[in-house]
Amino acid sequence: MNTIAQLFIQFFHIGIFSFGGGYATIPFLYDIAERFKWYSTTDLTNMLSISSITPGPVGINMATFAGFTTAGIFGALIATFAIVLPSYLIVSIVYKILDKFKTNKFVSGTIKALKPAGCALLSAVGLKLLFTSNLHLIGTIILTIFIIASFVKKLDPLFYLGISAIIGVILGHFHMIGI
Amino acid sequence: MDKSFYAIFKSFFKIGTLLLGGGYVILPLLTSELAEKKHWLTSEELYEFYALSTTLPGVIAINTAIFTGRRLLGRSGAIAALAGIITPSFLAIVLIATALGKIAGYISIKNLFWGVGIGVITLLFLAIKEMWTKCVNDKFSSIIYGVCLILALSGKISPAWIVIIAVICGIIYQQINNQKGGNN
Repeated sequence: MNTIAQLFIQFFHIGIFSFGGGYATIPFLYDIAERFKWYSTTDLTNMLSISSITPGPVGINMATFAGFTTAGIFGALIATFAIVLPSYLIVSIVYKILDKFKTNKFVSGTIKALKPAGCALLSAVGLKLLFTSNLHLIGTIILTIFIIASFVKKLDPLFYLGISAIIGVILGHFHMIGI
Repeated sequence: MDKSFYAIFKSFFKIGTLLLGGGYVILPLLTSELAEKKHWLTSEELYEFYALSTTLPGVIAINTAIFTGRRLLGRSGAIAALAGIITPSFLAIVLIATALGKIAGYISIKNLFWGVGIGVITLLFLAIKEMWTKCVNDKFSSIIYGVCLILALSGKISPAWIVIIAVICGIIYQQINNQKGGNN
């Protein structure tokens, strides 16, 4: 099957199965990286960095980026279109049956199971990224400091990205990243 | 101002541009643009659309935009809102990705990405922590969490199957609870 058709199918599939917020698409993108080799898991971390500091929902940014990396601008269009199409279809249906949907018992049961499942999928990706990215000792120390800091005080997400970018450039300048 | 296709597109284009750092900020942005400035609908309605969107598959901000557009101007409103919210992010990513191909070889860019990678893992951790405190709070959700985590870490099964398994467990759990309720 050609890449464009495969891109459409894979991202349509993400649109149907990803639950629970901006990062919910990541487990699926990680799975795609492993199965199709369109991009590496290191590329994925870079895409995630850029998507987090670019306007727009992270899930959409990631889809556009992954599509672009795989098949250029047309790939970006297809991936973006494919990931939002299920949303359009599903929301259109739910909008019509709004009152029934809200009070349906199976809906609430399903949601009760989906939320911890989404959290588990993200936890697994977090662990995999932690072990596959070359943080080295120095990166691990910085990560630990960030996490401790997050418990002490709630900071803006952009703050972590900004500070860590500066740290990366400075440490790199002094050849300290490999430590 | 009237609710034309173009007016809806423009409002959502603006929201898409301002949407930084995850879809969670969409609610305050929608409220200020559509309820407070334009008076197209109330903030209660927006909150309801947002809450519903979190229970549906897909990107939350996108679902919320489609719901809101639909309420404002039917099907064409939904398309206007969807196109509006996607366009800024599409343009920004294509521009950056194109530029990135040219500058990715520079060592300082590599160092910068190495650094930002640490920030990203921190943000992932924070997202997981927040989801965990909100959704893993009883025996049933802990079991689902544990089983799904093991399945996901094994790497042998696609995330979609894990979602399907969770849905089936949820429906069975609900069914059992209903029956218990019926017996009482």
